[in-house]
Amino acid sequence: MGLRKTSETEPLHQVIGREFPRDAHGLSAQLRSPDAELRRWAARDLADHPECARVLGVQLQQESDTSVREALFTSLGTIATQDSVTALLPMLRQEDAQLRNRAIEALASMPRAVAPRIEALLHDTDVDVRIFTVNLLGELRHEQVPQWLMQVLAHEKNVNVVASAIDVLAETGQPEHVAALRAVRQRFSHDPFVGFAADMVIARIEAP
Amino acid sequence: MKAAVTPIVITDADFLKFREFFYRKTGIHFEENKRYFVDKRLIDRIEATGAENFRAYFIALRFESDGAELQQLVNTMTVNETYFFREVYQFDCLVKDMLAEVVRHKRRGERIRIWSIPSSTGEEPYSIAIYLLERWPLINDYEVEIMSSDIDTTVLSAAQRGVYSARSIGQLPKPYLDKYFRRLSDNEFAISRDLVAAVDFSRVNLSDANDTRKFRNIDVIFCRNLLIYFDDLSRRLAAEAMYDALSPGGFVCLGHSESMSRISALYTVRRFPDAMVYQKPMQGDRP
Amino acid sequence: MKNILVVDDAATVRMYHRKMLGDAGWRIEEAVNGLEALERVMNQPPEQPFDLYVVDINMPKMDGYTFVRELRRLPQGTQVPVLMVSTEAQPQDAVAAEEAGANCYLIKPAKPQDLVLTAALLLGDGPAARRAADAQLQGVRA
Repeated sequence: MGLRKTSETEPLHQVIGREFPRDAHGLSAQLRSPDAELRRWAARDLADHPECARVLGVQLQQESDTSVREALFTSLGTIATQDSVTALLPMLRQEDAQLRNRAIEALASMPRAVAPRIEALLHDTDVDVRIFTVNLLGELRHEQVPQWLMQVLAHEKNVNVVASAIDVLAETGQPEHVAALRAVRQRFSHDPFVGFAADMVIARIEAP
Repeated sequence: MKAAVTPIVITDADFLKFREFFYRKTGIHFEENKRYFVDKRLIDRIEATGAENFRAYFIALRFESDGAELQQLVNTMTVNETYFFREVYQFDCLVKDMLAEVVRHKRRGERIRIWSIPSSTGEEPYSIAIYLLERWPLINDYEVEIMSSDIDTTVLSAAQRGVYSARSIGQLPKPYLDKYFRRLSDNEFAISRDLVAAVDFSRVNLSDANDTRKFRNIDVIFCRNLLIYFDDLSRRLAAEAMYDALSPGGFVCLGHSESMSRISALYTVRRFPDAMVYQKPMQGDRP
Repeated sequence: MKNILVVDDAATVRMYHRKMLGDAGWRIEEAVNGLEALERVMNQPPEQPFDLYVVDINMPKMDGYTFVRELRRLPQGTQVPVLMVSTEAQPQDAVAAEEAGANCYLIKPAKPQDLVLTAALLLGDGPAARRAADAQLQGVRA
């Protein structure tokens, strides 16, 4: 025994034929298998079938196995269409922070697809959804991010949504945002944190 | 008349902003004493991308759609040196803790599979081989297969040639050097052909499922200082590929500043006395 | 010198806590989410333990409740005080924090005096607690 010599090694692994056909129909069926491993493989392979984004979304709502959920999120992120976004948005209302944050990551990876939905999300009646949307903006690579943030600074009433927006500006803030930061500082003059954060970001932007 | 070029300077505020962003993206944190190192490389990238100053460079970096500049930045900010017994505490963890758990589920004489990726020029897989032979008491009770892969065929050839510089073998205890290497010249040491024969080298792209499909029932994977160079999606795919490759209960070892938890929720964190590693859950035991 | 680990995904919040708590005389380290924090705790040298954790609830990768539960399973984490700070304002959130293993709960954004006084009490730092209590009574910023 000891170290095996390579001249003796067998072929590494036989790839076994699959039980279900690999087309969208077969994979969708496999997605409902009682076996988590099979569901995970189906979720993985459905990344090649953008027309199945909705099916992936439905499974995501009811899937309890972590490894399958990971595959569902990754595939929706790969597909990156409007249907993917629709499938992922309900996750922003989840109690479970892991699921919510994983959804935000997936959404952040598809800026073109998610952009048309941002306005509505920033006006959602649920404060938490508005906060998570601002968190999403913090990860999003889209030229409109600064404008959306300005909107929040100008009109948002909830201090924690505003605080999140200021936080994103710590990284993305430019000289043209300073006026809005001063204005929001005024608007929330009773809040020591908003004052601190706005001052910090302004100082950062104005630093030589 | 040509305008005078303002030399690019990285201010304290610039450094803080960059540091936060880089840490958020990569998990790598730069202390104050790394200013010189960081500033120099930032200035290089600013000039290389034709940006006017740090501010312009940073905005382009933050909003670029494909992450290409971030990859470049990671490449330049990380030190990619390889040598024998690099991050040796992980090999200690292998022979003391990881293998102890692996053999709990194996009969005597059964195969144990270890996968080292990237192989680079071979220092890592050969280090593992030496460690097993010299520091694992149970080496003769099991059949150990060491596989090692890289995307670059040039380094794979070099690994199979097995000739190393004085710098590369510098960390080896002299008895091991004497036992496993033959000195060819002042700066050339050839590793024993037996060790070369003990490692199964292959060309693999870790993000390509077609390449990794063949790797299964692996007990321990060493994937050190590779994933930091990947973009987010490739990193996730690599984490999944390794998960597929591992037997239930199998381990992954990353570089000391890397975190699998940032990448994927598939693994459980295991803290051993010598190192922190990531484990694929045993059957029916999901994280 | 007491060591505090501040765990929050927002850079401005980490900076705010760092300023308030650092000014009170304690050494501050940061982590951006529960998972990084946990890995930081696991890698912390035994001669330099953390004396207090100030933890946000909503964070990516691992939220505050999960972090505290995991922390309490580590030998170095069973006894260390944890102060949770969050936007959540329902009574059940404070209960959830307690059930996870936290010692105390403050609502964000926390007033500087409240933050420092609570931290000082949890750290057993008498002088700092008295200064913070005075500041609170005077309604002046500590």
